[in-house]
Amino acid sequence: MELDFSVAWTYLPVMLEATLLTIMLALVTQTIGTSIGFVFALGRTSRFGVLRFAVWSYVWLFRGTPVLLHLFFVYYAAPLFGVTLDALPAAIIAMSLSSAAYNTEILRSGIQAVHKGQIEAAEAVGMRYGRIVRRVVAPQAIRIVIPPYMSNFISHTKNTSLASVITVPELMLTSQMVYSSTYRAIEILSVAGLIYLVLTSCLTGLQLWLERRTSYEARGMSRRRRRQFLGASDASVRMEA
Amino acid sequence: MTQAESPMIEARDIRKTFGTFQALKGVSLTVGRGEVVCLIGPSGSGKSTLLRCINHLETPDSGVVRVDGQPVGSVENNGRTTRMSARQVAQMRSQIGMVFQMFNLWPHISAIENVALGLTEVKGMSVPQAAKIAREQMERVGLAAKCDAFPEHLSGGQRQRVAIARALAMEPKVMLFDEPTSALDPELVGEVLQVMESVAADGMTMIVATHEMGFARKVADKVVFMDDGNDVEAGAPDQIFDNPKSDRLQRFLNKVLA
Repeated sequence: MELDFSVAWTYLPVMLEATLLTIMLALVTQTIGTSIGFVFALGRTSRFGVLRFAVWSYVWLFRGTPVLLHLFFVYYAAPLFGVTLDALPAAIIAMSLSSAAYNTEILRSGIQAVHKGQIEAAEAVGMRYGRIVRRVVAPQAIRIVIPPYMSNFISHTKNTSLASVITVPELMLTSQMVYSSTYRAIEILSVAGLIYLVLTSCLTGLQLWLERRTSYEARGMSRRRRRQFLGASDASVRMEA
Repeated sequence: MTQAESPMIEARDIRKTFGTFQALKGVSLTVGRGEVVCLIGPSGSGKSTLLRCINHLETPDSGVVRVDGQPVGSVENNGRTTRMSARQVAQMRSQIGMVFQMFNLWPHISAIENVALGLTEVKGMSVPQAAKIAREQMERVGLAAKCDAFPEHLSGGQRQRVAIARALAMEPKVMLFDEPTSALDPELVGEVLQVMESVAADGMTMIVATHEMGFARKVADKVVFMDDGNDVEAGAPDQIFDNPKSDRLQRFLNKVLA
């Protein structure tokens, strides 16, 4: 069989448009999943047992069942609650719920990696919970969670292809439609694979950039903070600038 | 009683149990204004727990803590005790400096930012204001040249001096030191004790849990010997070290001074 990539070229605009939907689906659900995950991670580390158990149960349920099942379930179960969901909203809900479960665990690991003594030190100067989270826990936790968080983001991005099963016309479903009408499966799938690779490579790049940005000891104080805290006339600034 | 007459720190009949372990079995302690009290005693005797109950890092099971006449943690009202809100506890803590055995500096920010953070976050100061005070405090502990260093790049003694500067920057009414030199290499102990001595000389009210008997004898106005969750014996340094009354204190001193 001869390969003919001219077909892929013809359908590239269609596939790129579908890629936009894939990107949108990945970004939106990852964002929602991260927001919920952050709140849940705080709940998971709370001193209230009921809250810890509720969040634990959520994670147990949604991490313990396939995303594919969540997709079908939300799509088909919604009418039971008196609403009919289009495929896209159903996919957004299902994938956000699943993403929240993973992100809860990832963010929790970061929060718990911050030594308790540092939180006590912040309490001892009179800082309150919100400020401690923002100024002491989050900056350190963020750095710790970047590698697992980004790994999960990458796998989540690929998982958006599962939304094809409930007819969301993202990249995977669009590719299938293109090759079933052109019979050029290998060419179209190759192009789709390349597009996924570009997307995940961007995320890998983002991860490297974030890791570098947040490695505080290696970078030392930023120039802005030096100016703010040490003053322009400080000798050590002049020496090291 | 007016504030001026009241003792700076007053802890009455503090009890604290962790699981089945009774860490404090009803300890009372009064510290006058500008007084330095050293808590001595074997590990596990309750020194740390007492300090942590004073700034409410631990909630005592029972007992009353007052700093500068104001209750910490819980308020008694017509015989009923109600717990303070998180806001009130935080407000009280900002007036009580605490220095920890393991320093507990925040590793993600430079030394001077460690000192300034409480000022911007708790006192609501602007960064330039806070930075100015932080620089002064870093100078006070002899670390003006290390303002931009991250905790990881400081020696243990330097870290503890930053931690002292961090507590002092808040202009606390009292300072609590929880075994501040116990985690240090022997050659670094002196620099930290020196800073503490100068803080005491400036008139700060201090409670110091310590194993440094030399420091206790030299700097303390009063020494309290704790053992097994009780305050066994208290008195002036001379009396405690030269004329111990209880068997337990005599045995303890024989061990540590041998």
